[in-house]
Amino acid sequence: MNVFGDSMIWPAFKLSILVTLVATCVVVLLGMAFAFVLAKRKFRGRELLDAIVTLPLVLPPTVTGYYLIVLLGRRGVIGSLIYERTGWSITFTWWAAVIAAAVMALPLMVKSARAAIESVNPQYEIASYTLGKSELETFFRITLPLASRGVLAGVVLSFARALGEFGATLMLAGNIPGKTQTMPLAIYEAVVAGENRQAQILALVLTAVSVTAIYLTNKLTGGRAQEL
Amino acid sequence: MLQVSIRKQIGTRRIRLGAERQAPSGNNERETGQPFRLDVEFTAPSGVTILFGPSGSGKTTCLRAVAGIVTPDEGRISLDERIYFDSASGVNLPIQQRHVGFVFQDYLLFPHLTAEQNVAYGIRAGENSGALSKAAKCERARELLSLLGIEYVARQFPREMSGGESQRVALARALASDPAIVLLDEPLSAVDAKTRARLLVEIKATQQRTGIPFLYVTHNVAEVVEIGDHVIVIEEGQVIRRGNPRQVTLVQSE
Repeated sequence: MNVFGDSMIWPAFKLSILVTLVATCVVVLLGMAFAFVLAKRKFRGRELLDAIVTLPLVLPPTVTGYYLIVLLGRRGVIGSLIYERTGWSITFTWWAAVIAAAVMALPLMVKSARAAIESVNPQYEIASYTLGKSELETFFRITLPLASRGVLAGVVLSFARALGEFGATLMLAGNIPGKTQTMPLAIYEAVVAGENRQAQILALVLTAVSVTAIYLTNKLTGGRAQEL
Repeated sequence: MLQVSIRKQIGTRRIRLGAERQAPSGNNERETGQPFRLDVEFTAPSGVTILFGPSGSGKTTCLRAVAGIVTPDEGRISLDERIYFDSASGVNLPIQQRHVGFVFQDYLLFPHLTAEQNVAYGIRAGENSGALSKAAKCERARELLSLLGIEYVARQFPREMSGGESQRVALARALASDPAIVLLDEPLSAVDAKTRARLLVEIKATQQRTGIPFLYVTHNVAEVVEIGDHVIVIEEGQVIRRGNPRQVTLVQSE
């Protein structure tokens, strides 16, 4: 019984790490693009876009998950198109877990990165323009390095959020051991099944990661950050 | 020769706050006073041309308009054959294409780069020689730093440098982009009197050595006399006098 039980932790751990890493990469790329546009471009609907991206932060995760099903489910707005062409649906695959985790973590990345980019004195950017540098080159060589601490803090927070994702993942990806069962879902199942020892181990692992994340974020955003 | 003829409605007069440190938003200006209209016409031939006037008279706005940082409501700005701005024909060159070197009041050295990297950042790739190698850029940056006698700060970061050193690095960086004109916005307002006197001599010498025209904004009469070849006095957004430093300062002191 114990052997069977322990075997639940390892696949969940592996899957969680994989899903979280992929989701974090997606979040960093998308999040930086959103943050750049929101911080640097003035256009109608800018705050609306910010609100939409931020929504998963305040919505109950199951509601976000519900919307994801409406969008990506087999009969969903986008999901049905994919299903008709390919016969494949993203629901109940590990990609669904990636998408759920990414959508839930995106607001943290966008918020942190936008604030970090906006806190860089725009006069530095003007100075760079006078030296003949384009807006894009200026962003990558001046703005981003000066905003790097805030951006990195966003990455760490997003990673932690993606690792802990439960509600939206359950809705879109289900809870299939070895396939879509990440650590938070495994904890739930362990507790329901009365496997307290497993729940304990999983909880400790997730707690350790979260504490590390908070420590790193504080280190990144505090102290010398203001000096630049 | 730089030719400027611009008009711009300035919403509210601005007074510069501390030059040492800027607020994170980059807004180191405080809005004050009544709206006024900038309406100036002047030329800057070779040598050092001074835009002289009290705070909030519009001289910095003139400088920023030449650089392309602010856009005039109407008028025309040209340097030799190149038209930077012409409201009549709808020309408005972006900052990057104006090839101006700008020395900011608070230097704005990039804090994450060393002095050498700051200067190298400004070096433009040659028009036909393609991209310069990193080593070649560093070499050129060193040359510029030694031109200003501060080769020894090459590996230092801006926070480790004195005001005078930062000012020289800022000038070296402005020169690095091989500019058609150098614009200096109260470059000596944040250094002590002794450093100021020495830097004035160096700025003048640098201008003469490079032959690039300098347009220099200040409200300090001593600076006008020390390095100005031509002076344009601006008050309340209008040019009220122009001439050589002696003529202008004589009238000023009466």
